[in-house]
Amino acid sequence: MFSQPTTLEEALDVRARCGPDLLPIAGGTDIVVAMNRGQLRPAGFLDLTHVRGLDAVRHENGRYECGGAATHATLSRLPVEALAEAALSVGGPAIRNRGTIGGNLVTASPAGDGCVALLALDADVELAHASRGRRVVPLREYFLGYRKTALLADELITRVRFPKDWITAWYKIGKRGSVNISVVCCAIGRSPTGLFHIALGSVAATPIRAPHAEEIVNRDGLTDGAIAEAADAVRRDISPIDDHRASAKYRAAMSVTLVARLLRRIRDRVKEPAR
Amino acid sequence: MTPEADEMVAVELAINGKPTHLVVRPDETLLFVLRDSIGLTGTKGACLEGECGSCTLLLNGAPVNSCLVLAAQVHGGRVETIEGLAHGDKLHVLQRKFIESGAAQCGYCTPGLIMAAKALLDETPNPDEETFFRGMEGNICRCTGYTSICEAIRGAAREWSR
Ligand SMILES: Cc1cc2nc3c(=O)[nH]c(=O)nc-3n(C[C@H](O)[C@H](O)[C@H](O)COP(=O)(O)OP(=O)(O)OC[C@H]3O[C@@H](n4cnc5c(N)ncnc54)[C@H](O)[C@@H]3O)c2cc1C
Repeated sequence: MFSQPTTLEEALDVRARCGPDLLPIAGGTDIVVAMNRGQLRPAGFLDLTHVRGLDAVRHENGRYECGGAATHATLSRLPVEALAEAALSVGGPAIRNRGTIGGNLVTASPAGDGCVALLALDADVELAHASRGRRVVPLREYFLGYRKTALLADELITRVRFPKDWITAWYKIGKRGSVNISVVCCAIGRSPTGLFHIALGSVAATPIRAPHAEEIVNRDGLTDGAIAEAADAVRRDISPIDDHRASAKYRAAMSVTLVARLLRRIRDRVKEPAR
Repeated sequence: MTPEADEMVAVELAINGKPTHLVVRPDETLLFVLRDSIGLTGTKGACLEGECGSCTLLLNGAPVNSCLVLAAQVHGGRVETIEGLAHGDKLHVLQRKFIESGAAQCGYCTPGLIMAAKALLDETPNPDEETFFRGMEGNICRCTGYTSICEAIRGAAREWSR
């Protein structure tokens, strides 16, 4: 079976009726890789690439609202630094033209770069069902465990919302340009009220926020001492493992380094005179 | 295994400007439909994981990895492959420059490189360093011919932007 709806209503309807029997597919950059490896044989597909408007990004009341099928190429052109840089770090142009934010959030890899950037923006994700309607889940509550998320088998990710004007910073340690699965990735967003949102990838079973580190800079601000203390506290937020990409010890050390580096970068930005 | 007739998907698309009607299995990739069903074997498959770029072609003007796109997804789309570049005997400037620079060794990565380069130059006829490498970062060559490959694309860019 191959379903190719052109409206969201129709897509949600098919999803509600067929559930897991029809695998939603957008860019296929996770799914078709798994199929080509012989690891996945979907019985059928629900193609999301023809759903009108699902790939669009809108701007409203100081927030962006992007459709579940917005591509990394589209996100890489937004003036939201952490998200744009994260999107630009995914694959090469051909991968970015197909791979979507919805796919990134559903695959929910611990290394998912879109996931990490959106956590630092305290994004909301909208999960929709044909008859139950839409529910908005804060992204920080969306990741439930290793590749497990709050998305139900009869729902689709319809939208992701995140602020436009936060000061953000992002850095990924990886091996090489276009096949750059992160060894450690960090993104930090500072809200206009001065609250910090520190997110990391590849250091736990899911992309995570770092509440211990956040608490320190939220309380003490960005003094040299607070930055050092927050960076060190991130060790309590992470639970890295050894794998073929890096050792747990290296990941922990790099988490500390990146948190300090990005907090300093944000401090420099905050100081820049407003234009 | 022969799939049931109602499992097959009808797809209308334009391949190198030619309206084409196809009937495909839902799980067939564009790469293998082009190569095995249509006989357009210019597009190459190598890693089948989106990492090498050999299968790059243009879908609605933008580069994609045809090994990761299902043929059925391309309904209504416009596909450009390496076979569509030359006009009769007249080679496309990128093809000519690849030959002049000796930028093909085993040649397996060449069609993907040329299509990625075409997408790059279509959008940015005179790319700066960063744009150039961003545009080409999804393609690899295992014969280590990068210097001549870059030379070929830069040569084409010079003619392109004239
Ligand atoms: C060469 C290469 C390099 C890569 N590099 C990176 C990288 O550096 N960083 C990174 O984070 N990722 C990377 N990826 C992974 C991949 O590109 C991303 O995870 C991508 O965002 C997945 O999106 P997609 O649309 O291709 O998903 P698909 O493969 O189409 O789908 C993935 C999953 O999401 C589900 N799904 C998709 N959209 C929706 C929706 N709207 N609602 C409900 N379910 C949905 C599908 O059912 C499936 O389970 C790379 C992949 C490749 C091939």
